[in-house]
Amino acid sequence: MGRWQKVVITASMVAFVALLALALSAGGLGFTLPAGRVRDVARWYLFTTFNPDLELFSAMAPEGVTSIVWDYRGLDTLFETAVFFLAIIGSVAIMRDIKTGGGSKPKGSTGLSPIVKTVTRITVGIILAVAASIALHGHLTPGGGFQGGATAAVAPLLILVIFSRYYIERLGVSKNAMLAIRSLGLVGIAVTAFIVLAVTSLQGGVAYVFQNQPKPYAPAGMPYEVGGSLTGGTLLLFNIFEMFAVSAGFTIIFLLLAIPESEVLGVLRGGEDGH
Amino acid sequence: MPSYETFVMGVLAILGLVSMVAAILAILERDLVKAVIFSAIQSTAYAFMYYLLMAPDIALVYIPVAIGLYPAVVLFLIKKTERYEGD
Repeated sequence: MGRWQKVVITASMVAFVALLALALSAGGLGFTLPAGRVRDVARWYLFTTFNPDLELFSAMAPEGVTSIVWDYRGLDTLFETAVFFLAIIGSVAIMRDIKTGGGSKPKGSTGLSPIVKTVTRITVGIILAVAASIALHGHLTPGGGFQGGATAAVAPLLILVIFSRYYIERLGVSKNAMLAIRSLGLVGIAVTAFIVLAVTSLQGGVAYVFQNQPKPYAPAGMPYEVGGSLTGGTLLLFNIFEMFAVSAGFTIIFLLLAIPESEVLGVLRGGEDGH
Repeated sequence: MPSYETFVMGVLAILGLVSMVAAILAILERDLVKAVIFSAIQSTAYAFMYYLLMAPDIALVYIPVAIGLYPAVVLFLIKKTERYEGD
């Protein structure tokens, strides 16, 4: 395809989208964007997310998105976590016979130049600090467990690419260690989902699965503040466990992808007996 | 002097068109490594758009996933296959 052909295709598509956007913003579809007012559902969420005057209907956490993700719609997020878990388990199952251990130490220096390595040593600390901040403040400011976990997963990725597989295994970031962290995170999420129900049932009361704050007819709940600082009840626990589960999950994928293709194909093709 | 809202909408429009050009280039490009870089440029524009649309939660998850993790995974995969797309 010639250069001019590319330019014509790109320009015509951009012009088409620009015209469509112009028509939309001028009310060509019968309504104008952005909408002039907040919708009723959004208004109700904004009204009840943190409302001390309406504690029985409130999530008592000032961050609306995290409240919706882990309190109002907690079950959806549980299934989302389950989907991510199954995707990772699937890739681990495909690569089950392949040794992720680094083997013997390679001769000479590996990875990129000393300048890049020094910069990475500094930025990895910063990345992990930002990730912890995003996850631990998830119930107060934008962010949460998945956001923090995805940010934290960038750190092992950088070490893997810029140093080497052998270096990251020596740091203790192996596939089995990450699987253990990931399983602990998922067990933590499951326990947190049932914690109010379990404690209340032992005391002879009633509660919901995934209950966070006291609700009508279910007066038990997690404390939304400890010593004057907001904790969001179960939201803080969910965010911490989700961060560990997500970051360990991504790290497993990177460790598996970093295995050289020759080793992978050798195992996947099987031996002479064809299994 | 345009109002603040008009300014934000104008920046959104420019970012949208930039992302669109990057997406088309990513599709047309035969060198897959360059295609991943175009795709990352498109994701960068989207991350700014999410922020301007007042969705900082989405922006926070979009920056590490779409600019860091996803290009890295695809680059790993390109390393395992061929770099140049055949006919």
